[in-house]
Amino acid sequence: MTIIPPYLKPGDTIGITSPGSYFSLEDAGPAIAALERWGYRVRTGSTLQTRFYQFAGTDATRAADLQQMLDDPEIRAIVCARGGYGTLRIIDRLDFNRFYLHPKWLTGYSDITVLHAHIQAQLHIPTLHAEMCIDLKSDTRDASAFSLRRALRGDRLSYEIPPDAANRQGTARGILVGGNLSLLAALAGSPSAMDTDGKILFLEDVAEKFYHIDSMLYTLRRSGRLSFLAGLLIGGFTRLKEDDEGPFGQTVQQIILDKVKEFDFPVCFGFPAGHQHENYALKLGLPYELTVRPDYCRLAEEAVSGF
Amino acid sequence: MMNIPAYLQPGDLIGITCPASKMDRPVAEFAAGVLSSWGYRVRIGNTAGMHYHNFSAPDEVRRGELQEMLDDPEIRAILFGRGGYGMVRIIDQLDFSRFCQYPKWLCGYSDITTLHLHVHARLGIPTLHSMMCSGITSLTVQDPYVESLRQVWRGGDIHYHFPAHPLNRQGTCRGMLIGGNLSLLTNLSGTAAAPDMARKILLIEDVGEYLYNIDRMMMNLKRAGWLEKLSGLLLGSFTASQETDTPFGQTAYEIILDKVKEYAFPVAFGFPAGHQPENYTLKLGVPYTLHTGEPCFLKEETQPAPYHDHHPALS
Repeated sequence: MTIIPPYLKPGDTIGITSPGSYFSLEDAGPAIAALERWGYRVRTGSTLQTRFYQFAGTDATRAADLQQMLDDPEIRAIVCARGGYGTLRIIDRLDFNRFYLHPKWLTGYSDITVLHAHIQAQLHIPTLHAEMCIDLKSDTRDASAFSLRRALRGDRLSYEIPPDAANRQGTARGILVGGNLSLLAALAGSPSAMDTDGKILFLEDVAEKFYHIDSMLYTLRRSGRLSFLAGLLIGGFTRLKEDDEGPFGQTVQQIILDKVKEFDFPVCFGFPAGHQHENYALKLGLPYELTVRPDYCRLAEEAVSGF
Repeated sequence: MMNIPAYLQPGDLIGITCPASKMDRPVAEFAAGVLSSWGYRVRIGNTAGMHYHNFSAPDEVRRGELQEMLDDPEIRAILFGRGGYGMVRIIDQLDFSRFCQYPKWLCGYSDITTLHLHVHARLGIPTLHSMMCSGITSLTVQDPYVESLRQVWRGGDIHYHFPAHPLNRQGTCRGMLIGGNLSLLTNLSGTAAAPDMARKILLIEDVGEYLYNIDRMMMNLKRAGWLEKLSGLLLGSFTASQETDTPFGQTAYEIILDKVKEYAFPVAFGFPAGHQPENYTLKLGVPYTLHTGEPCFLKEETQPAPYHDHHPALS
């Protein structure tokens, strides 16, 4: 059974914390303004005022800040300040007991994939793959930011996706899971590695070398994570880097299609989410219908009943 | 009984192939000349000198040549041309049934780690973590590291001394040595080639990685169960590790020590293996004694271990 965290009402409190890389309170200004303009109250965590090398404080500090927000019943959603690196270092320090009894929306992407995957693997509670403070401007007319607002207030999400010539057609229904490929690969074989059977898997990544994208997809494939998907939804693979020795010789579409060529589920490229300007909110852990046709592609959230 | 490949005799045939990235043919030819001077015959495969993007050749060509050398009973050892990237793209299409009947020494490191682990976890046959053709040059040919490959091929037992590193966790342990390149080890997490690590000594080296990525990969090993049951940990070189714009705050060795602080097994840093000229040949998949206090040594065990190891190679 899927337990859905309560959606937010005006006046509810959102906590901001940084479980990975450092992010200053000043830089969070526009995001705080945006969240307040949407009618929420904002509480900033201690990690917006601490820093330890590239991290937003020591592991103990970051874990304590997130733990406090997980446990505080007044905080109805947690918006992570940014990704970077560091959530993996604290995931095993976190106690999700109170969160499980009183779930709330955890929001972020990139390094926050560790939380998405761990919570999906261990607790089956939906989380929100969406923009973070580092992306949010005080101008709430931005469509990506607006999708976060809609997700938080409980709108059913539905997106039309521009058809891509590399798409593999079909229709898939299943629970949407996934996130950043590098982090999903880093979770392989661990208690945070989620079951993907019958699911729609979303992947995005940034600034990786092509051969490394290839090798990480092999890790997913060889650990059985691609065999029984309902569908594959590909977001941004941005600022990818060629090897010093020369080009890899395949586009990212070809690299991905190669790994799933013996399966027949639909594959949809170009969903506007990831490390790019357009980064639309996705409720992970909830059922969607993915339609991939030559002239029409859509990802539509479904009602929970029946799953 | 352990299925140990036969050591080499004068006149034995060694195959050279490039199962991953491209390499110029003269590199293979120079190495072949050195192997000939040691009294071996050499067959250089077509993939040495071929170029297909960054690979030596398309997957099917690389796989076909390696398969042929695995199956050819006349070839007693395979020395890989170089690593780079590509083994994982062909490993699941390789057929090891003839290799299991007539095992031979598979010699290499870096990208070849994928093959080492597969052969140890699935087949229980020892392999050699060694330099490849790319490491045998006019500058290195007289080095003890190149010589170590010759000595191991001749059947010499391994017994290396190396300086104690200040970060070492002192102790003595016994266990089967497996491992290789950190990036490739983490790629095996969660797959059927991920080994049972109970009573193993794990060798790890890497090159050119960002420190945060070394941290992330060590977190993977830890959380995927590679570390907690180890007998010991042996670190080779972490060559040319990179910082992002902001310093990570720990060296590669400090990052690694941090990941094993709640375990008690001995840890030795700075073993001369990895992406550097100082790269001693190690038999992987056989038992050793590792002593991590001054003077550190790694010594192959020729007597049966005093405990029951469940690894198929010892059963």
